[in-house]
Amino acid sequence: MNQPLAGFAPAPVTARMENHGDHMLKVALQTGNDLLARVGSMVAYEGFVQYEPNPPAVRQIAKDWLTGEGAPLMKCSGDGLLYLADYGANVVVINLDGDGISVNATNLLAFDAHLTWGVERVKGLAKFAGQGLWNTRISGQGWVALTSRGKPIVVDCGGGEDETYVDPDALVAWSPNLKVKGKRSFKAQSLIGRGSGEAYQMAFSGQGLVVVQPSEDSTDRLRVRG
Amino acid sequence: MAREFQRGHKARISDLTAGTDLYVGVQISAPGLTFDISCFGLDADERLSDDRYFVFFNQPKSPEEAIQLLGSQAGDTESFRVTLDKIPQQIQKLSFTATIDGAGQMSQIVPGYIRIVAGGEEVARYSFNGAEFSTERAVMLGDFYLKDVWRFAAVGQGFDGGLDALLRNFGGEVAEEEPAAPQQPQSGAAPGFAPPAQAAAPPVFAPPAPDASVPAPAPAPASQPAQGFTPPPAPAPAPAPAVHAQPTIIAPVNTPPGSPAQPPPPPGYAQPGPPGHAQQPAAPSAPLPPGYAQPHAPQAPQAPAPPPGYGQQPPAAPPGYGQQPPYGQVPGPSGAPGAPSQYGVPQGAPQGGAGVTAALQKFKEAPTGQRWTQQNKKLVRVDLGVGGDQPVLARQGSMVLYQGKVDFSYKGAGFAGRIVGNATGQEMQLMRCSGKGQVFLAEEATMLHPIELQGDAICVSAENVLAFDETLHYEVRRIEGHGIPGGALYTMQFQGTGTIIVKTHGAPVVLPVTPTTFADCNAVVAWSAAAQVVVSSQVRMRRNAYAGDTGESVNLQFRGAPGNFIVVQPYEV
Repeated sequence: MNQPLAGFAPAPVTARMENHGDHMLKVALQTGNDLLARVGSMVAYEGFVQYEPNPPAVRQIAKDWLTGEGAPLMKCSGDGLLYLADYGANVVVINLDGDGISVNATNLLAFDAHLTWGVERVKGLAKFAGQGLWNTRISGQGWVALTSRGKPIVVDCGGGEDETYVDPDALVAWSPNLKVKGKRSFKAQSLIGRGSGEAYQMAFSGQGLVVVQPSEDSTDRLRVRG
Repeated sequence: MAREFQRGHKARISDLTAGTDLYVGVQISAPGLTFDISCFGLDADERLSDDRYFVFFNQPKSPEEAIQLLGSQAGDTESFRVTLDKIPQQIQKLSFTATIDGAGQMSQIVPGYIRIVAGGEEVARYSFNGAEFSTERAVMLGDFYLKDVWRFAAVGQGFDGGLDALLRNFGGEVAEEEPAAPQQPQSGAAPGFAPPAQAAAPPVFAPPAPDASVPAPAPAPASQPAQGFTPPPAPAPAPAPAVHAQPTIIAPVNTPPGSPAQPPPPPGYAQPGPPGHAQQPAAPSAPLPPGYAQPHAPQAPQAPAPPPGYGQQPPAAPPGYGQQPPYGQVPGPSGAPGAPSQYGVPQGAPQGGAGVTAALQKFKEAPTGQRWTQQNKKLVRVDLGVGGDQPVLARQGSMVLYQGKVDFSYKGAGFAGRIVGNATGQEMQLMRCSGKGQVFLAEEATMLHPIELQGDAICVSAENVLAFDETLHYEVRRIEGHGIPGGALYTMQFQGTGTIIVKTHGAPVVLPVTPTTFADCNAVVAWSAAAQVVVSSQVRMRRNAYAGDTGESVNLQFRGAPGNFIVVQPYEV
């Protein structure tokens, strides 16, 4: 009966985090090696896993996240296999291995709890992006999973002459050593009611990567789920 | 991410996926022909020394169920389930073949493929089409072969003689010259296929196979009994020509051609960096800045030895869930940052090397010299300044990223244009992108399709246009018909020389226009302008049966010369 579904059986675990298909994340949890994941992102688990929403440690680090609403993270601990997904968004798994990455808050799916992380507000941008842009900077030895609506594209900033400009709604993540600044691209004439639709961008310069999703939908789908 | 294989390409399965429970799908079809798709389990001498490993429609699985025929599903003409770690030792190669049942030749086939799916994800695909073949009646599509580890090779070699020639090539003997040969193994004795010695020793196969119908990874011990096999006796002495060696020679291979056996992997092959990407033909070649290349370099010496922790389990042995220490042998909080090797990716894991750069390698932008480049299904890059300095008009807000000096300005439709746009609903909110640089365009993760117009014309409804060259002319066209709310339908017609990017929600279907081609006016995205559109209301209107309009009210019928097409999306606006 389940033969037609045979191709979808989980592959054996080979790493802490793996993709199952494009849109699902599989995490092998162990005791003492906790995971922080988006609240509501769990779709299945196998084994003994416990969830603690808004744990005190997170509250402290992310105390000013989302104006005190509480961080949308839960701590997952125990032994088992955990499957996470975010409304069919593509999942990108990264083994940091000492690197760092700066992730847009809505595009963060899960990361190892022992990583060094902090929440920061993107400088210079909050004043025009309506929602303000929060990002999480993560570094250390461990794994991070990001979500992207549609298959992302990674652009090398090249460290060259030209800056790379990104629509903040489409931005997923970037290398933390890039210089970021906001940029208004509209001119005086376009202020009169008819902009090009691209009123502001974020400009990146320096050496590093920028990850962009092919969608400008930045709504936080998981937030409504609680 | 599926790797596209070309004829002759080879790869280690462990580079494609960490799983060993694989699904192999074959799609092959030709008008009026039927195909027998089978899998030959061959020994080290490439002989079918045991006919129980000839898996086909009459023998849907091998004795220990390592190879199972699953039938037609999910778009595949035939599919198999292959559990690599259950394959007994003497089987060194699985050859997937397709033969035409009856008259016909391989040049008639329409484009097809053989693909490998593991863990719910297609990991490899070799596409072929009839142009690669001529009068052959059988074709060897792809091989799994054991050379230290299991590997996959895209073969694509035809055989003139059909199934019997194929069988003879594999050392089997065909008693009678009919294509009915495959029926033979069912008779039980099957003297033609196997040296009797092997067939006479069935008890060797006795180890109880675990229940293979469970798709979950089989417990690790399953592969152990295989070692109990006595090595098969020497195969039948018939010195068949080493036809199988040919694919490696004729094919445009990266590895040096030669013996049928895969040459020992060159040192670069074994590099643990991002193995899957290094070999990928389409791998982005943008050189990384030196500082970025480093993170995975130190990983190199580490990988050949299986790292402790998760890596301790060889990929062949799935973690015994529910057995003793679940999920890796390292209990306790030693997983702190101090012990990085615990997270070491076992060699050949899909993630390749470690570090941000390596993990993101597969999403790198694909540089081309062209004006329009599709980066992936949902993202397109336009290189302003290539192919003339014309600006590009794009839907407002569709820019996700740009590099270089690009100017975005409002593109008004003009007074008349706005009147028309308001009246017809075919209004586009556009911006003009000009200057020099690269602009990446995408919108709401819709699929994008660049269509190059060379003097011809296409009709697209305005909300499905993402961007187009400013050189194209466009106008609103009216489709009249009774029964349409509002009296008429409107569409945009684009004409000239240039590229237009059409977006669809979901993968669209492109239908050729035949005398009976209909489409829902809400789902149709585009059609070639030479096709004539007629409004038909064939489906009965049931407008007031319930609250809300449930009937399919307005259909468009298309007529036109052959060569016209329509594009329909799986989404009704």
